[in-house]
Amino acid sequence: MSATDEYDNETVTAYVDGELEAARRAEIDAAIAKDAALAARVDVQRKLRARLGQAFAGVEREPVPERLLAAARGPEAAPTQSPRGNVVPFPARGTRAPAQPWRAREWLAMAASLLLGVAISWRWLGAGEPVEMQGGALVASNQLATALDTQLASSQPADADVRIGLSFKARGGDFCRSFTLRGAASAGLACRAGDRWRIEALAKSDDASGELRQAATLPPAVLAAIEASIDGDALDAEAEAAAQGAGWKTTR
Amino acid sequence: MITGAEELSEQIVGLLPRLRRFARTLSRNQHDADDLVQAAIERAWRHQSQLKPGASLASWMFGIMKNAWIDDRRARGRRGEVALPEDSGDHPAVNPGDMNTEMWSVSEAMAKLPEEQRLAIALVLVEGLSYKEAAEALDIPMGTLTSRLARGRTALAAALGGAP
Repeated sequence: MSATDEYDNETVTAYVDGELEAARRAEIDAAIAKDAALAARVDVQRKLRARLGQAFAGVEREPVPERLLAAARGPEAAPTQSPRGNVVPFPARGTRAPAQPWRAREWLAMAASLLLGVAISWRWLGAGEPVEMQGGALVASNQLATALDTQLASSQPADADVRIGLSFKARGGDFCRSFTLRGAASAGLACRAGDRWRIEALAKSDDASGELRQAATLPPAVLAAIEASIDGDALDAEAEAAAQGAGWKTTR
Repeated sequence: MITGAEELSEQIVGLLPRLRRFARTLSRNQHDADDLVQAAIERAWRHQSQLKPGASLASWMFGIMKNAWIDDRRARGRRGEVALPEDSGDHPAVNPGDMNTEMWSVSEAMAKLPEEQRLAIALVLVEGLSYKEAAEALDIPMGTLTSRLARGRTALAAALGGAP
């Protein structure tokens, strides 16, 4: 008999929205691993959430109209204060500004400094660096590489340092997986390249608590990278397990 | 007080991309959506003294936008204008390329939701606010928020079907 009925819809959605307390979340993580019907219900809600987030992700990349910038600066700001023409003056990164989406080239340029930040906070946890440069490309290493190789979203521990989000097949046939690094408050997308995981996107979370609540609330840059490469649907629990069992080999 | 204003200004500028995105979940017309953002920012500056110390500026701003949007819809209703966000008369709904077909079909499904469900869905599922923050922005109890979310989700899942 299925245990699905033990969890009502509000519990399932609260789980997907990252609103459950750790103990309850762990309980459902464990139940999902044993109960395909429950896993499917969770998957439906996760996909809906991811879809809504992705649908509007592009708005954040649009240039902000000058009239809104002028309004935001407030009534006391002199109109001639900053003649910036069409250039959009994004605020300095830091305190409360939302994570800025990065295009491919921009993010590569930023990778070095971000890498340092991720590495420092990660090392603080006592693990090796999660990413490294190899042949001019950024690839996953240590705990992140292991998690990408072996961890299944449907059965991972609630308090895992690396949490896997969506797994999917990219247009070229390679498998890709999104991940969050809890201790580093960062999230990213990695795609299979030979026997390694190439980092396609990596962004700091803008979550004020410094910790990503849910894979579903990925930074816009990561969502955009997913949107740009995903071919069809994300893998369900069964397909994820099958792909993992086959060593994430590219199929075309 | 000058520093306070400068800080607020900086923070609102930082929120602009999110405010614009929230507006676009409420109105599919980009021009109307930006009008809404502008109206909300102007209200925020007028009422800045109401922002409590330590409160989330984002929740406060989203709440102001919600009020501005509802006021605007009621005013349009009184003037006999189309109250639904289907208005495409004066301005093109979007600049070419701004709205992909996916954004279009998702916003179409959202536009069919009752106002209160659409607000809850937009804040939690699109903006990624916690239930607490969303309830605060909408000025409703948590239980009301979760039941609106649940009904909104059911309707959206039915409208959007399975595959994206």
